[in-house]
Amino acid sequence: MNYIIINNKKIELNNVSEDTPVLWVLRDHLNLTGTKFGCGVGMCGACTVLVDGVATRGCQTLLSEVKEKKITTIENSEDKEMNILRMHWKEEDVAQCGYCQPGQIMNATGLLKENSKPSEEDILDAMDGNICRCGTYNRIKTAIFKASKDI
Amino acid sequence: MGITRRDFIKNSSILTTAFVVGFNIPIKGKAAAILKNNILEPNAFVQIDKDNSITFILGQAEMGQGAYSGLAQCIADELDAKWDEIVFKAAPVAPVYNKPGSTIMITGGSGTIRYHQENVRKVGAVIRLMLKKAAAKRWKVSLSDISTKDSYVTNTKTNEKFAYGDLVDDIQKMKLPNDVKLKNPKEYRLMGKPLKRHPIEVQEKITGKGIFGIDVRLENQKYAALIHPQVFGAKIKSYDDSVAKTMAGVLKIKQLPNNTIAVIAEHWWQAKQAVDTIVVQWDTGEFVKTSTADLKKEYRSYFEKDIHSMRKDGDTKKAIHNASHVVEAEYYFPFLAHAPMEPINCTVYHDKDKALLVVGSQMQNLSRDKCAQILEIEPQKIEYHNTYLGSSFGRRGAVNFDFIIDASYVAKNEPWPVMTLWTREDDIKMANYRPMAVSRAKMAVDNDGNITAFESDIVNQSITQGTIFEKFMFKNGIDKTQREGLENHPYKVTSHNLRAFCPQSPIPVLWLRSVGHTISAPIVENIIDQAAVASKIDPMDFRIKNLQDARFINLLKNVAKQSNWYKREKNSGYGVAIAKSFGSIVAYVVKVKLKEKDFKVEKVWCAVDCGYSFNPLNVENQIISSVNFTLGYVKYAEITIKDGAAEQNNFYDYNVARISDAPDSINVEIINSGEKIGGIGEPGVPPMFAAVINALYDVTGKRYTSFPIKLG
Repeated sequence: MNYIIINNKKIELNNVSEDTPVLWVLRDHLNLTGTKFGCGVGMCGACTVLVDGVATRGCQTLLSEVKEKKITTIENSEDKEMNILRMHWKEEDVAQCGYCQPGQIMNATGLLKENSKPSEEDILDAMDGNICRCGTYNRIKTAIFKASKDI
Repeated sequence: MGITRRDFIKNSSILTTAFVVGFNIPIKGKAAAILKNNILEPNAFVQIDKDNSITFILGQAEMGQGAYSGLAQCIADELDAKWDEIVFKAAPVAPVYNKPGSTIMITGGSGTIRYHQENVRKVGAVIRLMLKKAAAKRWKVSLSDISTKDSYVTNTKTNEKFAYGDLVDDIQKMKLPNDVKLKNPKEYRLMGKPLKRHPIEVQEKITGKGIFGIDVRLENQKYAALIHPQVFGAKIKSYDDSVAKTMAGVLKIKQLPNNTIAVIAEHWWQAKQAVDTIVVQWDTGEFVKTSTADLKKEYRSYFEKDIHSMRKDGDTKKAIHNASHVVEAEYYFPFLAHAPMEPINCTVYHDKDKALLVVGSQMQNLSRDKCAQILEIEPQKIEYHNTYLGSSFGRRGAVNFDFIIDASYVAKNEPWPVMTLWTREDDIKMANYRPMAVSRAKMAVDNDGNITAFESDIVNQSITQGTIFEKFMFKNGIDKTQREGLENHPYKVTSHNLRAFCPQSPIPVLWLRSVGHTISAPIVENIIDQAAVASKIDPMDFRIKNLQDARFINLLKNVAKQSNWYKREKNSGYGVAIAKSFGSIVAYVVKVKLKEKDFKVEKVWCAVDCGYSFNPLNVENQIISSVNFTLGYVKYAEITIKDGAAEQNNFYDYNVARISDAPDSINVEIINSGEKIGGIGEPGVPPMFAAVINALYDVTGKRYTSFPIKLG
């Protein structure tokens, strides 16, 4: 039996080809459309999810690689770091078009889980793979920095 | 049987936010006019329910610029509705939402607030007055004894209250008043305040619940992936789909009339994998011999020809002959892809003489009409839904409607709703680029530092020629977008000779955020910088001396002060630029630092005069957006042509700004001059290009006039 754990729920997947990227499993098979398609080549970060707590590009990760692993997506409402980040995302008025924001928040969550007190350089390093075409970067930096103070 | 949304909505919890339109919209005959006897059709914009829930219906597309929240702020203030509790929906296609004075629904030209604020405010004000009148009648008191706040009407004598929803039946029977007055600024509760984006929109965007076009899920929906021609203008000779046909999930493979092949499958990833196995034989035509170098050479050749005159006054030849200083430069602006974050998509369900069209578009009624034309049905038989746009920058307002056409052909006569979704590569290579431009400019200055001549030639493809916009925007061989910012630059100049030409090619071109100003502002603001240096006058002072409009001068003085311009740090480059576009003026000083063979814009100081700022926080956010957006085009992005096709594919060879490119600080000061209201989505872009190249000159002594900038 194939299963993955998404946002703490065990989900069986028997009719999905194992070489399907996690991004498309989430979006087209499970209707979890918060995880976004941006480039399909791991260059923009819009598809970022957490796999066992580590920020991972959903478009570059196959279903076969995440079997029985824990996946966290933007739809998760219980993750501590995510919720602190969300609070500061609101406070800094970050989102514009909003399309890249799930990937930004997931990637920032991965960062804070690994390093709860990142320096500015750590933030830039971690977030440089996440494109925001609206250019909300200055707000993102501040939101992550302030969130790290709250953790 | 009409198509109802219920037939198609698979996951209603996802679609609810975007798709409810449950009230009367005046779309017939004369009622369609936005103003009838100077009074709006209020129920097209505002729905008040008996439980006091208030819904705004907005015809402007939300693509990141804050259109929904900004309009809602205007309506809610005039209506005295409770800000946190209002909700908003995308409007359907109806003339009542057209840009005033036009026949189109369009979100562009930074026009949401400047073209629509007055009308939507009237809606709010009319309804508030009606609610007050209804309450006064019930309580038998005069209007002066009634106040309104947070979606309640209060009797100021007794403190009794009615929720707005309690008065719905009363106001439905009431005639629309014609004695309505808009609030004066002292009465504003929301307008002019730095409100954050509306909380409902924000919540949707930070939880993944917001519905973009790509997130649409209809009952029995299928997905299509495409093969587009790579060489511009190429035609399909034949193709081999023998492998694709056998692949899991594949439902149909078809050649579309626009030289595109579509695979429709159960899931998009299946369609995409199948597409990758199809081998196409192309008839590439003549354009396959073309490269960027060829185009540059062709464009330059027009400088020597008798091209179209854009502005000619005074005697530039004589002025140049008599000048103390003459500067000249040639500029190159590459083709640029918009690369909006959300890949291009459109969902169509064709059901005999009816259809459903769901897409994020900047031009709703024209998109609908194009779909109807392809499906060969009446436009009114299409139910249209606009979604959030995962940014756009003009791309989803394509004048050739390429993605609407693709999706309409894909779904035509098929039994399912089909989402046609492009890959990132489809978008980067399919064009609709900001036109490539080659330009030259010459400026003459007399002994006293006065500008005596400005000559410029500009050569780029027309955005509007051959489109429905041609009749308004293409005249005497010149595209209006070539004129903007160039023929009406703000400086006192005693003679002009400005010329333009529009060559043609099979490469489709399109407006990119700030359009012609992305070309004219770098030209004007760079050549003037060169003139200042040649005249040995500080570039800030030279501008101030040669400007005539006090608004411009005021902004320059502001950024000079902010940046401590006259006591600039050594070892850094400082550049100044100013430009007016879309009704607003933006001035920048930027500080640039060289890092080995690279450079970084470390600090940005900005002053903006948009007449009146309805939301200073959003103005600041749009400036931050404009700065970072522009830096990607200054430093990295360029579409080059080789063998008739774009050489770039995806974000690995078409780079945009990333977080490490963002300046350490962007300081924004807003001047409410009280002049006519301007836009804010675009005006921050044009002067940014120029400020950076001027700063690079300051630190390197070299004039970089070819974008993107490569040091060394």
